[in-house]
Amino acid sequence: MRVIVADDAVLFREGMARILTEAGFEVTGQARNGAELIGFVRRDAPDVVITDLRMPPNFADEGIEAAAEIRSFAPNVGVMLLSQYVEVHHALRLMDEFDGAVGYLLKDRVSDLSAFAADVRRVAAGHVVIDQELVSRLVSRRRERDPLAELTDRERQVLALMAQGLTNAALSEELFVSVKTVEGYIRNVFTKLGLPPGEREHRRVLAVLQFLRQQ
Amino acid sequence: MDARKPSTEAPATALDVGLGMVALLVAMLVGYGWSLGFDLANAHNGLIAASFSAVGLYVVRMRPRHREGWLLVAVGVVHAVMFFGRQYGSTEPPLPGASWIGWIGVWPLPLAIALFGWTFMAFPQGDMLSPRWRRIGLAMYAVAALMAMTSALWPVDYARTGLVAPHPLDMPGSHVAAQVWGYLQPSYPLFQVLWTVAVVVRLRRARGDEARQMRWLVYAAVMAIVLLAMGLVVFGSPVPGLLALPLIPVAAGIAIQKFRLYDIDPVINKTLVIGSLVLVVTTGYVALVVGVGSLIPAGTGWLSLLATAVVAVAFEPLRRRAQILADRLVYGHRATPYEALSRLSAQLDEAPEELLNGIAATVANAVGATEVVVWVGEEARLLPQAGWPRPPEPSEPSRLGELDRGAHRHVRPVVHQGTVRGAITLRKPAGEAITPTEVRLLADLVAQTGLVIAQQQQAQELQAAARRIVTAQDAARRRIERDLHDGAQQRLVTTGLELGLLADQAQASGGPELAARVKEIRAQLLETTADLRELARGLHPMVLTQAGLDAALRMLADRSAIPVRLTVAIPGRLSREVEVTAYYIVSEALTNAARHSGADVVTVEVAKVVEGLRVGVSDDGCGGARQRDGSGLEGLADRVAAVGARLTIESPLGGGTRIRTVLPCA
Repeated sequence: MRVIVADDAVLFREGMARILTEAGFEVTGQARNGAELIGFVRRDAPDVVITDLRMPPNFADEGIEAAAEIRSFAPNVGVMLLSQYVEVHHALRLMDEFDGAVGYLLKDRVSDLSAFAADVRRVAAGHVVIDQELVSRLVSRRRERDPLAELTDRERQVLALMAQGLTNAALSEELFVSVKTVEGYIRNVFTKLGLPPGEREHRRVLAVLQFLRQQ
Repeated sequence: MDARKPSTEAPATALDVGLGMVALLVAMLVGYGWSLGFDLANAHNGLIAASFSAVGLYVVRMRPRHREGWLLVAVGVVHAVMFFGRQYGSTEPPLPGASWIGWIGVWPLPLAIALFGWTFMAFPQGDMLSPRWRRIGLAMYAVAALMAMTSALWPVDYARTGLVAPHPLDMPGSHVAAQVWGYLQPSYPLFQVLWTVAVVVRLRRARGDEARQMRWLVYAAVMAIVLLAMGLVVFGSPVPGLLALPLIPVAAGIAIQKFRLYDIDPVINKTLVIGSLVLVVTTGYVALVVGVGSLIPAGTGWLSLLATAVVAVAFEPLRRRAQILADRLVYGHRATPYEALSRLSAQLDEAPEELLNGIAATVANAVGATEVVVWVGEEARLLPQAGWPRPPEPSEPSRLGELDRGAHRHVRPVVHQGTVRGAITLRKPAGEAITPTEVRLLADLVAQTGLVIAQQQQAQELQAAARRIVTAQDAARRRIERDLHDGAQQRLVTTGLELGLLADQAQASGGPELAARVKEIRAQLLETTADLRELARGLHPMVLTQAGLDAALRMLADRSAIPVRLTVAIPGRLSREVEVTAYYIVSEALTNAARHSGADVVTVEVAKVVEGLRVGVSDDGCGGARQRDGSGLEGLADRVAAVGARLTIESPLGGGTRIRTVLPCA
């Protein structure tokens, strides 16, 4: 699987290239900023780009802007955004604007190589990945009348994993239950929270994130 | 009033012809009436007829749509008819048809009086004050019509007239009619009360042009009444009062046509001063000569001398008193020096912009200026900052020497500790000078203004310094966050990455203990990076810079330890300063609530309003939060003050805490 990495810090960029190679990826380019990344993708589109969210010149959200442009001319390229912080408004934007095949993780996650490699592959396969810290912050958010109190512990766990972008198949693996059981949990969660059942995976994530934030 | 419609639609020539005919008719009636002899009891009708018609015709000639003009004409014509009727009917020996023509001179009187009153009540535009006043006026007409009818059918009003021929009708029931007349006649004084009230009400409500017009009319009416009273008292004759009658329509005409040319106020002022002086001097003189003369038998020559001396000594103080009184009456509530100064110090509590406007108003009030402007700046660069009656237009900076441009403009430089800090310019009504008292008062006010301006400049400098400190502090925090992000955090993340790699390699090369050890170190490292992340976020929230206040406040709500009800209504981005300040208010308030209040819920409301950005945070906790030294709330109050706002904290024990402010958005 071919990847391009982008980060303005050379040590991190090269470290990441090394671990990705170690994990069996082919790193076809290392960009220092968004513009360079776009240029690399135009020349030779990879399966996934892994990019820092905050890069030169403005250190704002150049990573997302670059990713959005890449998707406009290369819609099949998966996008994995890494950042020092994970913010809900970015996650909502990614779920809303990118038609799946997008991930948003803390940079810390690269230190668990196998988990990170798995997440990159999920993005390459068109799924979505949302950092667990962001999700657990939303799930444990203090609420006046907590609708999540209606859920059982298992349903709560399913909700959190679903919000991280896990597919039904991935959920069944994670929880050691059958896909049918997973589907049952999800139905219960959606009924109890009054959410419309989402058909597409990233739509489902978006709905859950929005629900968690609003309540 | 019916004459108005055709005349406005007819060509000008037709109007001219019509007006000419009315003028001719009035002239013939009045002229022929006068030629029949002088009758003191009827002379006022002739004067009213001539003066009201003349002025009314002039007004409608110039402004055919002016209703008050037509009312004046109507008053003139009705009185002309009555005047002629009575002159004709009173002539000895009786002229042909004297009975009927004399009758015409008597019975319309109630209607003429009602019309006269209506003309007063409708001045200056010809409209009644309100629908209610209109109904009152119509009721007056109804009573007048009833009276006129009674007078037309029976000779109830003949006794006073001196007509030589009897009433032309000989109807039965004259006894009852006389009784009815007796009941109705007290309406006349009632009518007069009505007009007076209507005029006074209008005078009080009137502003600007209308007020000036009203003053003309009222001045003339009062003068006529005074002359009538003086004539009756001094000469025992109504003639001076009669001769003064034309003053009223003439003043009305001036008011309608040329009120912009002449300001009546100085005239009223001087009249009051002179009138009251004449009254006091005369009374004093008479009292001395007559009173002392009756007690001490001395030569009248000595007494006159004494009286003259007393009057001469008392004259100047009296004049001054009279002037003050007249000023009060004419220019409204013009303050005494003490009042002016105490009012100024009462305004010192107000907001700075209001304060200078308050000074302008106080100066205007104190010296009766028509316009006051307060200028602030150095001698060579003065800018208009406040004014009365309205704030000044923004303009280019002026030099002190240039400020006296324009007529009747007085300039007073504002000097504080030897430097020019500003100036006050004022305009007085034409023909009015600044009196010595006003000069002294003005000097005091200018000195106070110097203090105010100096204090204001200090406050502005202080606020600017506070703002610089806060801005520098924010910049430093942003810089540290950035340094952490690009430096320590980045390095730690990279180290974590290397450690991860190392753990995998250790695992692969068959060293599970080493791998476990490395994983443990990595876990510690991740905790450190998490701590550092929170520290950096606390220093400066990137969300705020990247996505704005709305997103940043939502992030705060997400992370709050107490449930938050968040309402944000802001259109797009605001200035960095305002966003950062609002963010820290909410952040600090949420932290405080979580730590101390024990609240169940915190309500955060942030909305853009006309005055700026309104920020409110309230909880339902235990209250009792105070701005302690070094507490977060004190820091907040300083931060808010630095952007020119004020933080309000209400926190009664057991009553929750409410923190509110409105941040000005430039």
